[in-house]
Amino acid sequence: MSTALLMMVMTVAIYLATLFVYRRHRRLYTTPVIVSTALIVIILLVFHLPYETYMTGGKWIDRLLGPAVVALAYPLYQFRDILKKMFVPIMTGTVIGAVVGIVSGLLLSKWAGFSDLIIHSIVPKSVTTPVAMSISESTGGVMPLTAVFVMIAGIGGLLIHPFVLKVSGLTHRIGRGVGMGSASHAIGTSASMERDTMEGSISTVAMVLSAVIVSIIAPGLTLLFM
Amino acid sequence: MNRFVIVVLQIAGLYGLYLTGSWIQQVLGLFIPGSVIGMLLLFVLLSLKIVPERLLQQGVAFMIRHLPFFFIPATVGIISYAHVFKGKGLLLIAIGLFSTAMVMAVSGRVTQTLVKRREEA
Repeated sequence: MSTALLMMVMTVAIYLATLFVYRRHRRLYTTPVIVSTALIVIILLVFHLPYETYMTGGKWIDRLLGPAVVALAYPLYQFRDILKKMFVPIMTGTVIGAVVGIVSGLLLSKWAGFSDLIIHSIVPKSVTTPVAMSISESTGGVMPLTAVFVMIAGIGGLLIHPFVLKVSGLTHRIGRGVGMGSASHAIGTSASMERDTMEGSISTVAMVLSAVIVSIIAPGLTLLFM
Repeated sequence: MNRFVIVVLQIAGLYGLYLTGSWIQQVLGLFIPGSVIGMLLLFVLLSLKIVPERLLQQGVAFMIRHLPFFFIPATVGIISYAHVFKGKGLLLIAIGLFSTAMVMAVSGRVTQTLVKRREEA
């Protein structure tokens, strides 16, 4: 019990410290989720603590992820008019993004010669963890490995976001939101939400649509391209 | 009532919606996670004015402001799979990043083009 409490207190303290730094020094490399994760990983490695030990406390925070996702209904509701008006562009972009994500991940890892197990694990990376894990399970991937790929898409998405915006000429808030939600799920959405509530709400919609679309088309596309 | 108590009660309300969503998922055998069903449920309740907007307001604002915090335990999970990404495995990170960039650029551009066309019309 004391270990669990210590892990929880440590996570809260590190998060608050990184948030404090981030509010005074807003840079990509000071993003709280990235710095906190790195610090905790270093601490666990230094003290030879396995992930399971960390999760005795971490699971209590993890359990609040569900209600945190539920809370996203509010921004969705606030921007319902614009969503209704722009539903077709948002839906079209998200569907095409879902196909691009599945096919590119699958073909690239296949050409690089990785095992089927790894390929199946990388396919659902652009959707939120619980959905990605259940897709991975049904297509024959490894669930915890899928969770890692989901993190690469999420945190990696934050890192490459400024570069992608510049290269692809994404200037419109709706386009940016769809790009973020389709590629980097809830981690990307939380970053979008911080920049601009409307962009964040569009990202929320894209993330939810993408989760549903990917779980429907991933099994078929996997069969087609394997 | 104290502000702290209000926020805690409202988060408990959100948790209740999450549990309801998970229950619906199990009963109907859906592949969409309980949290997403809970969110859609709350959206419907707000739209039908069954739940007034201010009922959960402060709790929602708190959760959204600190959304990244709730991901930390999951992202720390990378530690258990570090070995997969050694040597040739490094290529997997590059593939993941490249594919993510493609999704972001393509889905964003398609939407942007369609939105602009609609705004001009």
